[in-house]
Amino acid sequence: MQKLVVIGAGMASGRVLETLFETDPGAFEVTLFNAEPRGNYNRIMLSPVLSGEKSFEEIVTHDDAWYGANRVVCRFGEKVVAIDRTRKVVVGENGEVPYDKLIVATGSVPFIVPVEGRDLPGVITYRDLDDTNRMIEASARAGGRAVVIGGGLLGLEAAAGLRLRGMEVTVLHLTGHLMDRQLDEAAGYLLRRDLEKRGISVMTRASTERILGENQVEAVELADGTRLAADLVVMAVGIRPSVELAKAAGLAVNRAIVVDAQMRTSDPDVYAVGECVEFNGTLFGLVAPLYEQAKILAGCLLGRPGSFAVKELSTKLKVTGCDLFSAGDFAAGDGREEIVLRDPAQGVYRRLVIEDDRLVGAVMYGDTGDANWFFDLIREGAPVSAMRETLIFGQSYQGTAPLDPMAAVAALPDDAEICGCNGVCKGKITGAITAKGLTSLDEVRAHTKASASCGTCTGLVEQLMAMTLGAAYNPAAVKPMCPCTDLSHGDVRRLIVAKELKSIPEVMQELEWKTSCGCAKCRPALNYYLLADWPGEYADDDQSRFINERVHANIQKDGTYSVVPRMWGGLTSASELRAIADVVDKFSIPTVKCTGGQRIDMLGVKKEDLPAVWADLNAAGMVSGAAYGKALRTVKTCVGTDWCRFGTQDSTGLGVKIERFMWGSWTPAKVKMAVSGCPRNCAEATCKDVGVICTDAGYEIHFAGAAGLDIKGTEVLTQVKTEEEALEMIVALVQLYREQGHYLERIYKWLKRVGMESIRAAIVEDAEKRRHYFERFAYSQRFAQRDPWADRASGGVAPHEFRPMAEISYREAAE
Amino acid sequence: MSAVMETVNETTRPFIAVTEVWVPKDGRLVWSSGDYGALADFAAISEKQSFAKGEGLPGKAWAEARPVVLKGFDGSYFLRAEAARVAGLTSAVAIPVFAGNDLKAVVVVLCGDDAERTGAIEIWHEENGLLLLDDGYYGAARHFEWVSQHTHFPRGQGLPGGVWAANAPMLLRDLGSGYRFIRADSAGRAGLTTGLGLPIAVPGRRTYVLTLLSARGTPIARRFELWNVRSSRSGAATEAVLADGICQREGPLWDDEHERRVAAWQGAVGEALGSGLPLVRTDTALLTAGYASMVALPLYRDGVLAHVVAWYY
Repeated sequence: MQKLVVIGAGMASGRVLETLFETDPGAFEVTLFNAEPRGNYNRIMLSPVLSGEKSFEEIVTHDDAWYGANRVVCRFGEKVVAIDRTRKVVVGENGEVPYDKLIVATGSVPFIVPVEGRDLPGVITYRDLDDTNRMIEASARAGGRAVVIGGGLLGLEAAAGLRLRGMEVTVLHLTGHLMDRQLDEAAGYLLRRDLEKRGISVMTRASTERILGENQVEAVELADGTRLAADLVVMAVGIRPSVELAKAAGLAVNRAIVVDAQMRTSDPDVYAVGECVEFNGTLFGLVAPLYEQAKILAGCLLGRPGSFAVKELSTKLKVTGCDLFSAGDFAAGDGREEIVLRDPAQGVYRRLVIEDDRLVGAVMYGDTGDANWFFDLIREGAPVSAMRETLIFGQSYQGTAPLDPMAAVAALPDDAEICGCNGVCKGKITGAITAKGLTSLDEVRAHTKASASCGTCTGLVEQLMAMTLGAAYNPAAVKPMCPCTDLSHGDVRRLIVAKELKSIPEVMQELEWKTSCGCAKCRPALNYYLLADWPGEYADDDQSRFINERVHANIQKDGTYSVVPRMWGGLTSASELRAIADVVDKFSIPTVKCTGGQRIDMLGVKKEDLPAVWADLNAAGMVSGAAYGKALRTVKTCVGTDWCRFGTQDSTGLGVKIERFMWGSWTPAKVKMAVSGCPRNCAEATCKDVGVICTDAGYEIHFAGAAGLDIKGTEVLTQVKTEEEALEMIVALVQLYREQGHYLERIYKWLKRVGMESIRAAIVEDAEKRRHYFERFAYSQRFAQRDPWADRASGGVAPHEFRPMAEISYREAAE
Repeated sequence: MSAVMETVNETTRPFIAVTEVWVPKDGRLVWSSGDYGALADFAAISEKQSFAKGEGLPGKAWAEARPVVLKGFDGSYFLRAEAARVAGLTSAVAIPVFAGNDLKAVVVVLCGDDAERTGAIEIWHEENGLLLLDDGYYGAARHFEWVSQHTHFPRGQGLPGGVWAANAPMLLRDLGSGYRFIRADSAGRAGLTTGLGLPIAVPGRRTYVLTLLSARGTPIARRFELWNVRSSRSGAATEAVLADGICQREGPLWDDEHERRVAAWQGAVGEALGSGLPLVRTDTALLTAGYASMVALPLYRDGVLAHVVAWYY
């Protein structure tokens, strides 16, 4: 009988032995080494053991009786010191064992974040039963606090288990959404929401700086200075193959032990299986391919060679109540289309990615009933065009006609509640439509209150209108903000506030976006709406901005950028001009030009020079002029009473005050202002978005001018007597525009849409409302008045934006 | 194996003496199925009984749309008090099964009081963001009862908090030893080993969680199964997949590689799945996994059947 030695009693080697003994029980005399003092157990079920939803005994796959029945010599708790391939012996701590065939199944070791404090007691990884028991012990202390570093599968399962056992748990994740390797942003949002419902705190884009404590872990400090108290820190940031033994034995090792399709290493008598192997450059961490490897390896040992191939994998999270699934490749790309289904009420999200009439990826959250069917479609590469219309609904919908939502609405009884907020039933709505001749959604809202609050039932109400009015219903009256949604800008703005939606994924899920991640039209709009509506709560998403706003400079036709520092009210000084001149020389900036807004524009700056240019300008006291942004651009002024013989007021001073108060604020579209010291209007205030004409009697507040593609003189909003009143009026006006304007809608277009009457009613005629708008603007400025150049000049924010994609010489490029 | 699967004497008396199912018919709750063990007289009386809304214990659970615990029948609204006294039954818990606003059934469990029977049937309700004990029946586990009355659970913590957060049934093992927080010491002293937690859906926004805590000596059940329901396009439940389960005889019932499924109307669980109604079976060993009796309880979420929980004893 041949001697088979196995190093490592993990799931892969366990499956090899099972297959061997089932196929040919007498083929090998087996010795099994395991560094853990126990045999094979189902390691992926450790999470339910941690949570208390399984006992360890339940997850043992091979007990003493099984090893005994198969005459396996178990050397558990004994580490293997070396493999002597020349003599064909394995050297254990307690002695040598000869082999004819050897299986290396040393698995992997957890990756440890190389930060200060990682060796403190209370900082653990999550890999085996001992780690699990350590977590259970730690959770026994009442009021214990755990920080889990890593929001992947293992980290989240650990977090849920620790929470169930009574700990206060915070999950730190480096990227923007949880399980970013398995889920897209939309599903990641739903997962986060589910975990937060369990009382687990989730912090994304959280980088661990160090772990603090004297004799025991006490806290985790993040890169942004945040400190989180902790009695337990669990590192679950990934694994690396355990290859030291194989490497020392002279086996071929890259990132892991190199094997062929029969799981043979560089030594034909030595096999490797599981997380310690590398096949065609691929590493393995999920159990499905490990079992496949085990089957192939066992076959080879028995002279029935098969061939291992990398297949599509699927993922599930073992947290009760978190129903998620992902499989295949779900990245967006050219030639790919996606089908998205969202059900906000049920917390359901489904996304299918199709390429060349084949399903190539699927992400599901909340309802994974059809997961296996979709997974089969992905693995089989079956054509899907015949079921394209109903594919997203799952297997049970195939072979049937697509759903007819109108039929479902028609079937509702008259007393069926349509609008939960206002308790309006179907009969009341259809009755009002018929009796009062209502033809628009706004009319139905006005007469019945249906859809007038949170708006969740808007779709149903529209279907009722279509059903009742037939051809008389004209849904085209509502212009969707983009192809990703049927909702208009106005609806989206209203619903963001009414439903308290505070992130882009949340908006998309709750408002049933038809795409997974939006498009270049809706993402910047949503980013603006959320910034404007939730100051201090919503974190600006750089990736939802166009290039100019991402790099805080204007891209030019040759790929270089223009840089415009702010000059308050158009004023500058010798030191500022000197600094600008020095920057121009230092960075060989080819063109310097005065702008129409009384600024200096440096044109032709290389992207990688931007942070250094800004650093020099910052050093001279200058900040970004926001010449690239949907934001306050310039406040142009004339010299006013300081110098002008005709000046009636200090127009320069007022312009500076306005600009200092309002700089940094984001607006639906760019906002240009001007203050003229007399009706001669040298600052050209009557073609600006907001303008002030000073008179002997005070200040005329103008707005809604245009001098670009459209030419339009301003409208007079009102007249005030003091600078303070003028400032309050202008700020309140801009805040109203910020709250009502559609993205990219200039002030003059906003006025045309909402009407002068409503603006005057809110800003001029109601002092209390005006004050509230002013105060809301002032509050938002607490978070907005931060110079983006300074943040980026220091390298602390978005350094990747300013790195060249590659430095290659002409010669390299030619090769 | 976990504690519940250890050497349990199957001849020990179960913690729950009677389980019965009442379903609405013509405006009253009528008897549908039940297991009364040796209490034939109580069974005979019960099968003829019916309850109007608000009448008796099942009627009260219906009218108030919430689970109700009743300890001590004498002088109470319990209509079968005399028969219960003769049968040695002293406490009962009524669990309404609602699909949205529609009452599907009321399950009533009755227990006898003695110094030996230990276990717990608890109702938890949400108040100000915490789960508080509504009421519970504990048998001889007096200290555990006292601890529970002075315990609350935030979302996600402990069996009640976990069920609340997941909105799904959960089956915890080793309540006393492996499960080491909040009530664990006291649970261990009371011999409580396995905990089954169920979200109880009621109309409106109220939250209720039912926990059944089983002790080694007087188990609530010897086999537990948690099934996740999958529905068809019409919304009807077509099949269920076993999510978790343990059995004193068979060990773990779950299998992370091969899903165990049951179709609607296939066996007792399939009947609960197909009908959407709870049921009690005592007739054939085939339907009760070889045990004397089984209970299958459907759990609804947002008006749709989401889980079936079954226990066998």
